[in-house]
Amino acid sequence: MNVHDYEKLWIGLSMVLIVLFIGSITYGSVVAGVVMIDDAADPVDPDALGDHPDFGDPGVTQTGEDTYEVHVVAFHPGFNPDVIEVPANSTVTFHVTSMDVIHSFSIVGTNANSMVIPGEVSSMTVELGAPNRYGIVCNEYCGEFHHLMEGELVVVPEDEFELEADE
Amino acid sequence: MRTAHREIGHDEFDPVGTLTLVIGYFLLLVVLWIFVYFVEFLGRELTVVGVVV
Amino acid sequence: MSTYVEQFPAEARLVRSAMYTAFVALGLGAAFGLLQVLHRTNVLRVIDSTDYYTILTLHGVLLVLTFTIFFLVAIFTWAITTSLDRPLPDHRFSWTWYGLMTGGTVLAAIPIVGGLIDQIDMSAAVLFTFYAPLQAHWLFYVGLALFVVGTWLAGVDWIRTYLAWRREHPDERIPLPTFMVLTTMGFWYLSSVGVALSVLVFLLPWSLGIFEHVNALLTRTMFWYFGHAVVYFWLMPTYLLWYLLLPKVAGGKLFSDPLARIVFVLFLLLSTPTGIHHQYLDPGIAEGFKYVAMTNTMFLLLPSLLTAFTVVASIEHGARQRGGTGRLRWLGALPWRDPVFTGMALAGVMFAAAGFSGIVNAGLNVNYLVHNTFWVVGHFHLTVGTAVALTFMAASYWFLPQVTGKPLWGRPLALGQVLLWFLGMTFMSNAMHRGGLAGIPRRTAEPQYNFSFEPAIGSVAELDAQVVLGGTLLFLSTVLFLTVVLGTLRGGVDPTRIPANTYAAALSEAEDGPRILDNLRLWVLIAVVLVILAYAFPIAAIVDRSGWLGPGGSPYPQVVWVVEYLVVALALR
Ligand code: HEM
Ligand SMILES: [Cu+2]
Ligand SMILES: [Cu+2]
Repeated sequence: MNVHDYEKLWIGLSMVLIVLFIGSITYGSVVAGVVMIDDAADPVDPDALGDHPDFGDPGVTQTGEDTYEVHVVAFHPGFNPDVIEVPANSTVTFHVTSMDVIHSFSIVGTNANSMVIPGEVSSMTVELGAPNRYGIVCNEYCGEFHHLMEGELVVVPEDEFELEADE
Repeated sequence: MRTAHREIGHDEFDPVGTLTLVIGYFLLLVVLWIFVYFVEFLGRELTVVGVVV
Repeated sequence: MSTYVEQFPAEARLVRSAMYTAFVALGLGAAFGLLQVLHRTNVLRVIDSTDYYTILTLHGVLLVLTFTIFFLVAIFTWAITTSLDRPLPDHRFSWTWYGLMTGGTVLAAIPIVGGLIDQIDMSAAVLFTFYAPLQAHWLFYVGLALFVVGTWLAGVDWIRTYLAWRREHPDERIPLPTFMVLTTMGFWYLSSVGVALSVLVFLLPWSLGIFEHVNALLTRTMFWYFGHAVVYFWLMPTYLLWYLLLPKVAGGKLFSDPLARIVFVLFLLLSTPTGIHHQYLDPGIAEGFKYVAMTNTMFLLLPSLLTAFTVVASIEHGARQRGGTGRLRWLGALPWRDPVFTGMALAGVMFAAAGFSGIVNAGLNVNYLVHNTFWVVGHFHLTVGTAVALTFMAASYWFLPQVTGKPLWGRPLALGQVLLWFLGMTFMSNAMHRGGLAGIPRRTAEPQYNFSFEPAIGSVAELDAQVVLGGTLLFLSTVLFLTVVLGTLRGGVDPTRIPANTYAAALSEAEDGPRILDNLRLWVLIAVVLVILAYAFPIAAIVDRSGWLGPGGSPYPQVVWVVEYLVVALALR
């Protein structure tokens, strides 16, 4: 087959691009430590979340000195809890599921962004820095009031943080 | 139909302009990628890291 | 040398009908697009926000299913008959598939529109992705299924025509346009089976109340099994036009026929086993599967990068034949006053930009940054919304005369139309990309919350202004397009003023490439194997987690057992 020299050069450059992209993405995973939402959490029954040990009473729990877990139930059109308060400079793992349709749990302006699918749990761990406030939106259409679905993540100074009593 | 000014056959045609354009595109892609991947993405806070629990 | 309507009057009628259907869908879709732009930015809200999603469903369905695919069947019918130089075998059959596609569209549209009318107890505000457990009225699913079956029969029609030609020409190379149609249909059959199964086995019975639940992750995965391939289904007729029509109107020849074949074979092989790249942020799918989808997707860049070279080189060839010189000065020798050329060339420029945002979407972890934000909307208005749509509009200025025998009316208007689209899309898409980086979500009637978005540069108000300006220009451009179409149709028939029905010859001809390229059976077989490798394990894992019908303990009907058996049997091979 006769392929022009310039075109051969271009095929070579195209391969360089492909390697560059796959390489940086692998760097992001391996070196920068970004992990994907995956299948680590066990499936749940969306119709029986009330009986679930964690999703039955969603909210913030402390799991270690600077580590917290937040269970969130998404529903049309909101999040429970809708305001999440966590201390600065901590490591927080969100576990989000849905009791009805597909939603998302997306912390605006950050890389914490996940689909929320009924029957599945999206678990993601983030490292928090200084005190701040972030909006949370659902960016997957979930019904006629989808645009009302929002929440807030409030990162408070460590000394002002108080865990809500688990009633 | 417009008429071609001259017939250029396979062996007389070197697409040097095309090569120039695609190399420009190559460089643009590299620069934009580095910006979006390393500055916009990895530079942001709250990135999902390994599950600790 | 004569026009298409003189060579194939019966086929020209079919092509015309398909194009007119596409244009109606385009006009309606653009009107809804303008409504959306004004609504989201809170410039003008003529509908309730709760109805916004019905409008958006119509916009999506009419534009990316109706407009694109009706235009595709028109182009493919033209490509097959012109390049094989023979008519379709059975016109009743052809009108049957056209009827199924049209009927399917109408049936699907009835419940969507019903959602806007209080007296009608039907709705289907499920957007064109119809993710369960959002449920549409059953008629919507029936309509979709009929539409897809219509496209399958259209494929049968083209394949029959090809086989009849093959019997008479046992040793010839497949003409390039036919080759493109056949490879495209190869991956279309392979991928649309997924969505057809999802609709017929799960969603339709569920909407009729036969099952109580469906597995949301499974039906979503089956949608995306088809959903990436469908974007290439829109793109392949566009590539066909870039390879065959664009060099011709530029006054040159296709740079390389064998490379064009390689490109189409790569699309056949890689379009389907990449769909999981739409599910990077889905829970319940292992990271490994996502990584594999990412590498497959990155390799799918190759055929598009090759296309960039081949198409630009073909244009350059035209420019140099027209007397163009210099390293880049030849660009000035191109026929920029011809709307057919300019529209397609600008569509190509925008596709190059879309290439970048698409790489970001495809980039596994960097997808966290942009997933489901306005960035994505900016991206696909450059791809399907411009590379495809603008190419189709520009090509219509060449095709309409071919299929009607009437010369193009309002050529300067047509040139203005394609320029206006380019300008409008520059504003709209640029602002959408930037808004996405600031976190503005897509598919949202009122993206105005208690907190505010903070773009790195500029402000939300400035982005909104650009979106509104761009959207308005795009709408005007569509109106201009339809005006030129109607103006042309009102004119008289005069074939002497219309160029002959031909497509670009190649500088490096088919015979320069190895014969194995034409071995479609082999390529389809490899494509099937790749799909099984990419999907058997993810599907098996999803079903293993939550069952065929999802958590919730529903009955297990027979038909599902059969499907399960097949998938597991495949997974164990
Ligand atoms: C007049 C020109 C157009 C305008 C003003 C326009 C505007 C818009 C806007 C603002 C959205 C986003 C809505 C949202 O996410 O809330 C949208 C979505 C979309 N547009 Fe367009 N658009 C136009 C033309 C097109 C064309 C030509 C195509 C394809 C051929 C197209 C395909 C789509 C698709 C597939 C969606 C996504 C629907 C969904 O999220 O379900 N648009 N359009
Ligand atoms: Cu939502
Ligand atoms: Cu895709």
